[in-house]
Amino acid sequence: MREQPANRISEKGLRVWRLYGIMQAILVLLLAVGVGILAYKYEGPWWVYAVAIGIVIIYPYLFVYLFPKIKWMRWRYEVRESEIELQHGLFIVKRTLIPMVRVQHVDTSQGPILRKYNLAVITISTAATNHQIPALVTEEADELRSRISVLARVAEDDV
Amino acid sequence: MSEKRYKLHWITAILSVLKSVKDMIVPILILFFANGLNSVNTGKWYFDHLNFIIFGFLFLSLLITGIIKWKRYEYWFEDDELRIEYGLFVKKKRYIPFDRIHSLDYTEGVLHRVFKLVKVSVETAGGSTSPKAEAELTAITKEAADQIEIEMADAKRKKSLVNIDEEDVEGEIEKVTELKPVFAMGGKDLLILATTSGGIGLILSGVLIFLTQFSELLPLDRIFEEVSGFIKYGLLIVVAVLVLAFLIVWGISVVMTFFSYYGFSVVVDKEDIVITRGLIEKKRATVPLNRVQSIRIVENPFRQLFGYANVVIDNAGGGLGDGARINLFPLVKKKNLEGSLLKIFPDLIVEEPGKKLPSRGKRYYYRIDFLWMIPVIVALTYFFYPFGLFSLIIVPVVVLWGLWQQRSAAYDLFGNQLTMRFRGFSLQTAYLMKKRIQSMSIKQNYFHRKKGVATISASVKSGMGVFTAEVSHMEEAEADRILGWFEPSVENQVQNDLLSEEEIGKA
Repeated sequence: MREQPANRISEKGLRVWRLYGIMQAILVLLLAVGVGILAYKYEGPWWVYAVAIGIVIIYPYLFVYLFPKIKWMRWRYEVRESEIELQHGLFIVKRTLIPMVRVQHVDTSQGPILRKYNLAVITISTAATNHQIPALVTEEADELRSRISVLARVAEDDV
Repeated sequence: MSEKRYKLHWITAILSVLKSVKDMIVPILILFFANGLNSVNTGKWYFDHLNFIIFGFLFLSLLITGIIKWKRYEYWFEDDELRIEYGLFVKKKRYIPFDRIHSLDYTEGVLHRVFKLVKVSVETAGGSTSPKAEAELTAITKEAADQIEIEMADAKRKKSLVNIDEEDVEGEIEKVTELKPVFAMGGKDLLILATTSGGIGLILSGVLIFLTQFSELLPLDRIFEEVSGFIKYGLLIVVAVLVLAFLIVWGISVVMTFFSYYGFSVVVDKEDIVITRGLIEKKRATVPLNRVQSIRIVENPFRQLFGYANVVIDNAGGGLGDGARINLFPLVKKKNLEGSLLKIFPDLIVEEPGKKLPSRGKRYYYRIDFLWMIPVIVALTYFFYPFGLFSLIIVPVVVLWGLWQQRSAAYDLFGNQLTMRFRGFSLQTAYLMKKRIQSMSIKQNYFHRKKGVATISASVKSGMGVFTAEVSHMEEAEADRILGWFEPSVENQVQNDLLSEEEIGKA
């Protein structure tokens, strides 16, 4: 098996993912409470409570703790002179290779939460596909963006 | 302003009205039925005939805007550009440099043919955000269409003359002879195409309708013994109606396919593939050879039985759907396929991909399906007890299908060409050139990693979208090898190694 790409994404990215997880967990909690109230009002069977409680316990464990952690551990990227290599995935690990020659443009973007953590997302576009590197420190992302665009220009001259 | 400006044929106005009516057919029908059926006499004529008045007004306004649009639409040639000026209220101008025009596609509808006209769609490089053509000249005479081509050729010749003075270009241009078609479809092929096209989709939808009817009938009546006679009778009617409806739909599709593919022929004109087809509406599409992103042979199992296949190419321009995915050979005998294909793409290696998949990957072709199969079977069995057990049949079907897919899949590398063969339902063989592949990926989950299998996929541009070829669960080392083949730095390294070896040899 080939070697893993060298670079990890920012550790703050993990925190942001946990934050997303917490938000989802709160929604799930509200939903579960709603179901519980309905079950109480209409005298639903006992297992409805059991399922609701089970989900409320398991969901945060998976989506706040475990999945973000695995996702973060998996996320690797490497920008070499003539190609970009990405690796990510929770259950299915996907490794993608994008030759520099094919890169058409590179974007960085950040939403309000990412901005608060001083993070940015890089989107690399080819003629057909789009690829993202989530959660890089803004300065690093900007630097990477300009580096990729320089490399992509050089590569294009070669062909 | 010295250049002569051209107008479209006046039929454009009528065509635009017809198109608007076609686009608004649903609201018009609703209005008509909602209003027209309850014709009460209120004594006031304008109230009684309100819908007719509305229609009349609508039609008149459409006609007037159609005429104004036609009056305002002008095109001319200036500075090696096709320039168009149009617009109903806001005057718009569009200048398209001849260099940017990739192809001119011609369509002739019924009205066009009466007046010997064509509709010309000007296709430029992909990247325009709309799926439509860059510009459309709705109706011009054939001479006018030829003139555009002449102007374009002139401009290109001028350019090449400026660039390379010494070379003699004169002789080349005069050669406008009738080109022999590389591929044409005979009557028999056409008939087979028409009868088998869309067949599977229709059959499946027919079965689906039947099944929904069936499942609705069953739970409604719990006392089977008492009403079984009625159910049988009801089912018979339902089935009969469905079969009839299916036959009618199928018949329509046969006739439509026959008309639209009548006289199908492919011609290679210098650097372009020119595809002509159609009986009532004649179409001529041009695909520049260097815009072809991938070549795929699709073999639907029914057609495979009779030794037929279908060749599709992905075009870089041409927006979404039809323009991007072009039926190069809608139906071709597999044994004739290679010859015709090589006439268009001489560099293509149409060899059968020889590398098969390891048998330890078999299980992954169906194992994931148990995730949805088991709940479905349990639910069906629980809710429709005796009959629900029939759902167990889907297990062997899915497993066999998975094994079939595994057995069909294959791949191979020939120089700069990657051949990938895979099956959804139809067998697809994709021929991908390294320089056309935009990105490649390897996918693996925990179990795949343990067994040393991996899924490889390659994406190419297809119009505005993307086509991804994927061979699942192949030998991990082979997937790595293919990714290495694609990796530019590995390739550079090999070249450098070779160079340095040469140097050593020289020294």
